[in-house]
Amino acid sequence: MEFIKADNVRFAYEPAEGELPREVLHGVSLEIKKGEFVALLGHNGCGKSTMAKLFNGMLLPTEGKVTVEGMDTADEETIYEVRRRVGLVQQNPDNQLVASIVEEDVAFGPENLGIEPKEIRRRVDEALKAVDMYEYRENAPYKLSGGQKQRVAIAGIIAMEPDCIVLDEPTAMLDPRGRDEVMETIHKLNREKGITIILITHYMDEAVQAGRVIVMDEGNILTEGTPREVFSQVELLKQHHLDVPQATELAYRLRSYGCGIPDGILNEEECVGALYALIRKE
Amino acid sequence: MAAVLETQDLTYVYSPGSPFARTAVDHVNIAIEEGESVGVIGHTGSGKSTLIQQLNGLLRPTSGKILLHGKDIWAEPKKIRAVRFQVGMVFQYPEYQLFEETVLKDIAFGPKNKGLSDEEAMEKAKEAAEFTGLKRSLWEKSPFELSGGEKRRVAIAGVIAMDPDVLVLDEPAAGLDPKGRDVLLAQIGSYHQHRKNTVLLISHSMEDIARTADRVLVMNKGKAAMFDTTPNVFARSAELETMGLRVPQVTAIMTRLQAMGCPVPSGVLTLEQAIKELLPLVKKKEADENAQ
Ligand SMILES: Nc1ncnc2c1ncn2[C@@H]1O[C@H](COP(=O)(O)OP(=O)(O)OP(=O)(O)O)[C@@H](O)[C@H]1O
Ligand SMILES: Nc1ncnc2c1ncn2[C@@H]1O[C@H](COP(=O)(O)OP(=O)(O)OP(=O)(O)O)[C@@H](O)[C@H]1O
Ligand SMILES: [Mg+2]
Ligand SMILES: [Mg+2]
Repeated sequence: MEFIKADNVRFAYEPAEGELPREVLHGVSLEIKKGEFVALLGHNGCGKSTMAKLFNGMLLPTEGKVTVEGMDTADEETIYEVRRRVGLVQQNPDNQLVASIVEEDVAFGPENLGIEPKEIRRRVDEALKAVDMYEYRENAPYKLSGGQKQRVAIAGIIAMEPDCIVLDEPTAMLDPRGRDEVMETIHKLNREKGITIILITHYMDEAVQAGRVIVMDEGNILTEGTPREVFSQVELLKQHHLDVPQATELAYRLRSYGCGIPDGILNEEECVGALYALIRKE
Repeated sequence: MAAVLETQDLTYVYSPGSPFARTAVDHVNIAIEEGESVGVIGHTGSGKSTLIQQLNGLLRPTSGKILLHGKDIWAEPKKIRAVRFQVGMVFQYPEYQLFEETVLKDIAFGPKNKGLSDEEAMEKAKEAAEFTGLKRSLWEKSPFELSGGEKRRVAIAGVIAMDPDVLVLDEPAAGLDPKGRDVLLAQIGSYHQHRKNTVLLISHSMEDIARTADRVLVMNKGKAAMFDTTPNVFARSAELETMGLRVPQVTAIMTRLQAMGCPVPSGVLTLEQAIKELLPLVKKKEADENAQ
């Protein structure tokens, strides 16, 4: 059975005084299976963060329905269960950091779930180590650099050990190694703990690592499929403000010049292999 | 060429004298030439934001000096406000820079503060909004009702509207979609060429830095680890790796091909360069094969 299901979801934010409501999601339907790793892409303002907040009931559809393991997010009786299952790392970590000390901040979520103190201690330490912020555990969050805050925000959700983690551009402020590390952490949670991952990103080289890619456009779903299926549609993606990894683009452009390089190259490895075969084959 | 900005043993310590003291910028000596485009890279927490916030007087150095057009910016602390008009800054989290009722009013705030009339400021604001690709339908909205990427555009427009001599952008493209990123960087590039002002761009995207910077400053643990031309910096990929950095994906591909014995040069930084190098090689191979 699907873990999260959005059925014909429409959404409009509460309009400012004297304004008409503007619909930002126009009937989105999608399903996320348990244990999946899904990347959600799309241009600025297409509705990704809005979708993310609908997944854990922070926002409720204006029309249509979102369910988590069959529970309607609009049902007040089960909203607590929904939030326990779906953790959201928000786009701006400052919206999320609440306590005055890093480790208290990470403990905040599990405390709210009523976890016992000893277990909280274990989870907080483990989560901080997973994002490489353990040595900052006694610092004040506001004194951290941009990337460091982002890591703490991720740790806060990891410590809640939800079944599904939605990450809204978690690597936007990280250095290249930090991005790799966060991606590794997410993969590990997915692989070893079976945690369902929904990753919102503008980095195409991260999206190619997902099992499935969903592309949104202006409040609708444009296309979806495996990374290979989606990223072979170079023109379509570019028309909708997106891109492909440099390795994919290099191969694509060489092909358009008539080079016999295979279709569907996604990363550095594959690109080097294909080019080497072309240039050096005896 | 004259240096527009120069730092002398610039050092910044957070919470000095307390058990939490942290040296974020450590004896940095750099000189930025008038009209150049400088990329700044470095691991998270390496001191990039702390460094640049001192350049416009927002943070006061613990020790060392900043010279703007050869003059110590802290020589007369009362005049520090004037420095902020000359060195315009887009912060890492632009949400904090937004506070007015509407997008346009927000963008017009800086120019008004600088002394322009309401009308002139509005004109500047519209130009800047146009320039950063903010849809007209958003101009009269509250900046708080925008998506992440849209907010960022408003913040950038606000600083560009002030027309500073030195434009400092802290991760301006983070959170922009790829097209928005391309357009913004191209616009900063053309603004830079047109205005002949100096641009400092902080970014974690090595691809963006490779495309835009004449020179690259690499910060590592508070120190200026490298400050050299872009091809020279990205030729030192092993060292960059140890600092948590990378070279652009296309550079890595070409470097690996070279290591495997393919006749390609090092220092390839963009897709266009790579295609120019690879196309003749592939075509030649194909021609050789057809001839056989
Ligand atoms: N609090 C709000 N009030 C009113 N409108 C909003 C609000 N937040 C977002 N919007 C609007 O809803 C639309 C979708 O926004 P959303 O934040 O979901 O986009 P996004 O895909 O996450 O974009 P980005 O990549 O820039 O983060 C945008 O047009 C935006 O202007
Ligand atoms: N207000 C503050 N008080 C105390 N320490 C701080 C403060 N702001 C930053 N620091 C520390 O100073 C160091 C440098 O931070 P800075 O924000 O300059 O890094 P950065 O290179 O901009 O990082 P990022 O790429 O993550 O934005 C970090 O170790 C950080 O924890
Ligand atoms: Mg968003
Ligand atoms: Mg910073």
